[in-house]
Amino acid sequence: MNNFTAMLWIELRKATRSHMPLSTALGSLFMPCGIAFLLFIARNPEISANLGLVSAKANLLTYAAMDWPAYLGLTAKILAVGGFFFFVMAISWVFGREFADGTVKDLLAVPVPRPSILLAKFFVAALWSLALAAVMILAGLLMGVLLRLPGGSLPGVVSSSLKMLVIVGLVIAGILPFALFASLGRGYLLPLGLAIILVMAANLVVLLGWGEFFPWAVPMLYAQGESVLPALSYWSVILTGLAGVLATVLW
Amino acid sequence: MNLPIETDNLTRDYRQVRAVDNLSLRVREGEIYGFLGPNGAGKTTTIRMLLGMIRPTAGEARVLGTRVRLGSPKPWSDVGYMVEDPHAYPELTVWENLEAARRLHPGTPPRAVGEILARLNLTAYSNRRAATLSHGNAQRLGLAKALLHSPRLLILDEPANGLDPAGIVEIRQLLLELTRDHGGTVFMSSHILAEVARLAGRIGIIHQGRLLQELDAADLERNRSRRLLVRTRESELAEHAQPAQHAQQAQHAQHALLAAGHPAELLPDGTLVLKNTLAVEHPDEINRLLVAAGAAPTHLVVEEEELEQYFLRLVGLPGGLPGGLPGGLQDE
Repeated sequence: MNNFTAMLWIELRKATRSHMPLSTALGSLFMPCGIAFLLFIARNPEISANLGLVSAKANLLTYAAMDWPAYLGLTAKILAVGGFFFFVMAISWVFGREFADGTVKDLLAVPVPRPSILLAKFFVAALWSLALAAVMILAGLLMGVLLRLPGGSLPGVVSSSLKMLVIVGLVIAGILPFALFASLGRGYLLPLGLAIILVMAANLVVLLGWGEFFPWAVPMLYAQGESVLPALSYWSVILTGLAGVLATVLW
Repeated sequence: MNLPIETDNLTRDYRQVRAVDNLSLRVREGEIYGFLGPNGAGKTTTIRMLLGMIRPTAGEARVLGTRVRLGSPKPWSDVGYMVEDPHAYPELTVWENLEAARRLHPGTPPRAVGEILARLNLTAYSNRRAATLSHGNAQRLGLAKALLHSPRLLILDEPANGLDPAGIVEIRQLLLELTRDHGGTVFMSSHILAEVARLAGRIGIIHQGRLLQELDAADLERNRSRRLLVRTRESELAEHAQPAQHAQQAQHAQHALLAAGHPAELLPDGTLVLKNTLAVEHPDEINRLLVAAGAAPTHLVVEEEELEQYFLRLVGLPGGLPGGLPGGLQDE
């Protein structure tokens, strides 16, 4: 435990001293703010009349998020897809930076057991992802309030927030293998490239009807909430996460 | 005998290339062992295998009596190291980098950070971000990380790289102090031969992955070629003479030496070069001979082969001329 605490101090210090947490937090604001902007345009025809294509997109969005329940559903989907990319960036940085900065060799011949070092890294990556999720959810809620969406209720917001927490948990489990990808690729490129490929693959797999068994499609399907997912879907995500941690420790 | 480093037939292949070939080393406790070799000789690969960073293709290494295994936390509490260029977390300050290194070595007291900062003259840079350090100070920071937990064994890859002359002297003092006062052992690789010769008690020379020679510093002195350079009044006149006269005049001294059993080579500038042991060890005898032959020497000096040339001669690279001629006086 002492080793883990010491490693946690190091990892937290590295993350907080870097500009990456701020950059990813600002980036994660982009989607909720962008959606709010489009909704604002759609609800103000005098502005949308001059905006052409943007106006068309905004009008489409109005049907998807015309009240609080629909808006929270949209925010959950943003979290499932946008969150995935930002969480991958966080974990890729936590692991890949040791290779990019050449500091990995300072971690290889030390008396601290390697799992302590890696678990501290996983912990910081998860914490960072949670913080980003909080930023996205709070920004989304704030935008909803500012837009004065109709149909809001406290029980509705609480239930949607709980659903979003489950999504965050599923997405975080799904990004854990990216620590291994960062280690295998000795930097950031491989995990970031694979993130794009996996999102495309997830869309394809969903179209083929097998999405509920593809770990990286499960959070999106859960966010859509159109059907109840089988227990195997959740297990596939959890096992993928555990396999990612184990493989990184063994690598 | 305590051997902080032992390797048995250590071998490492990278696809078709054998980077380290059956390397068997014994480093004794309390000594500074210089590991010499040109770029690509296998020095860094050896060090990475010693530190358990890469797995040997064959053979094994023991460090402080423990067989080195990838990912094992042993025996690293008593080992400090610096491999290749020193790297640090660029966004952390010098102090934070050292504090991180301290926490990676449980049991190292917090005061160790302040002490090592002072010892390596880094106190003034304590709050500077590592990204803003000069190469020399980054090297100091790397050494500080290696020394922070007072290790029994230091493994350093080119520790003098990037340091100014004052820095090199400081590091030399520091390493000598570590071995002399604390009984520590140092294994250092370098291509700066003079530096190794000054510091190391024993030297291993590696080339193309193979250990070519292992010798004490005193052996190194003995093995370096020496030669006697002689200039006579005739040689000096010869410099201003026509080629025909020149040859005739310089050859007079050469014949006198040859007649006495001292083969001498005549360089184009009129200098006579003697390489036989008797001449090199008894220049007074050569002097007497030349005076008797009417070609009194005006310049008589024993020159020792440069370390670099000795090294190049040993590894068979161009520049290491047989007989060891210093750069400025190379025979055509």
